[in-house]
Amino acid sequence: MDAFIQSLQYESDTIKALAVTAGGLVGVFVTLGVFFLVIQVSNKLSKKS
Amino acid sequence: MQDIFIGFTSVFGSPDWWQPLLMYLVGGVLIWLAINKEYEPMLLLPIGFGAILVNLPLSIAGTPPAGSGYEAGFLQILYEMGIKTELFPLLIFIAVGAMIDFGPLFKNPFMIFFGAAAQFGIFATMIVATLLGFSLKEAASIGIIGAADGPTSIFVANIFAPELLGPISVAAYSYMSLVPLIQPPVIRALTTRKERRIHMVYHESSAPKWLKVIFPIAVTMIAGFVAPISVPLIGSLMFGNLIRESGVLERLSQAAQNELANLVTLLLGITIGCSMVAANFLTWKTLMIMGMGLVAFVFDTAGGILFAKLVNLFLPKERKVNPMIGACGISAFPMSGRIVQKMANDEEKGNIILMHAIGSNVSGQLGSVIAGGMVLALVPLFAK
Repeated sequence: MDAFIQSLQYESDTIKALAVTAGGLVGVFVTLGVFFLVIQVSNKLSKKS
Repeated sequence: MQDIFIGFTSVFGSPDWWQPLLMYLVGGVLIWLAINKEYEPMLLLPIGFGAILVNLPLSIAGTPPAGSGYEAGFLQILYEMGIKTELFPLLIFIAVGAMIDFGPLFKNPFMIFFGAAAQFGIFATMIVATLLGFSLKEAASIGIIGAADGPTSIFVANIFAPELLGPISVAAYSYMSLVPLIQPPVIRALTTRKERRIHMVYHESSAPKWLKVIFPIAVTMIAGFVAPISVPLIGSLMFGNLIRESGVLERLSQAAQNELANLVTLLLGITIGCSMVAANFLTWKTLMIMGMGLVAFVFDTAGGILFAKLVNLFLPKERKVNPMIGACGISAFPMSGRIVQKMANDEEKGNIILMHAIGSNVSGQLGSVIAGGMVLALVPLFAK
């Protein structure tokens, strides 16, 4: 991973922006996906109790 | 005798005499938009007045010219204490957190993904900005206008490109107020009439109180582990929400929603105006930033709608989502949700999708903060 990041440091800003875009969008979806699971599990637990 | 007229001579004796005059005009236009058009008046009016103040001769209200013998003006002191330290945007977030009800999201948790998809504009605009010659850090600060969330834009711009803070803040708040004009044409262009008439079933049920209390804590901790640099943003937002949902801090919740929000907004606007010194503001970069701010909002809206259409490909006919809901994933809360409800009602009287739209809209608030955190975490890795 470090080697990949280091190799990108010599690329143009647009290539770096593409890398930030890929990482950023995945990060946002995964983080909100975890929030989704928290809500789903909580809703299931509250229905059971 | 010359000292008496120093205010005039310092401006009209300069070859750039037109710059402060143009800034008075810019400030006047912002005040006019705030008063006559009611576009984000709480921010555009103080920003406009600040822009006038800071461009008056010798800038005694802001940063005095070097060697003038004057101390830093009150706007400069507010800037150093409130913006450079990132205190003002974070205090605003406590107030915003106290205003948000995540109830509609708890009833339709899937709406949270529209809050993620509608952050597409941030990243698309960042790529466009690099193509136009901006550095990665400048491009990231410009892209974050697409968060449709003033405090996040200010927070990120202040870290990556403080010299662009003025135009970025003006663009962010201007386009947030223009959401009713920006979103409907994009929605109409990307959806069919049939899609806009899709009904969505809403199940009336209340989320348990313990979920409302645990949610802000869990969100803060998860965000803290995924993107530690986002903790100040998400932490202050969720702290405000915890105060609201705890049920035992009603006075503090009301204070955060009213007194704190009003006081910090008042100081934030005029302090941002202080960053609009003519020499820094009157550049091609400002015009490009204003243009890219619009691009960011359009791409945000498009990202949310196209994601909704993608989801519909996999859903059975009776459970399809109205793709307009995707547009609400933009964080302009609650304006975006209301616009989409109005459009749904205009297409077919009695089509109520408001609660889904608001669920998507509050998700956008979460999504924009997380996206801001991602940008803050990722850009320094590549921009060394």
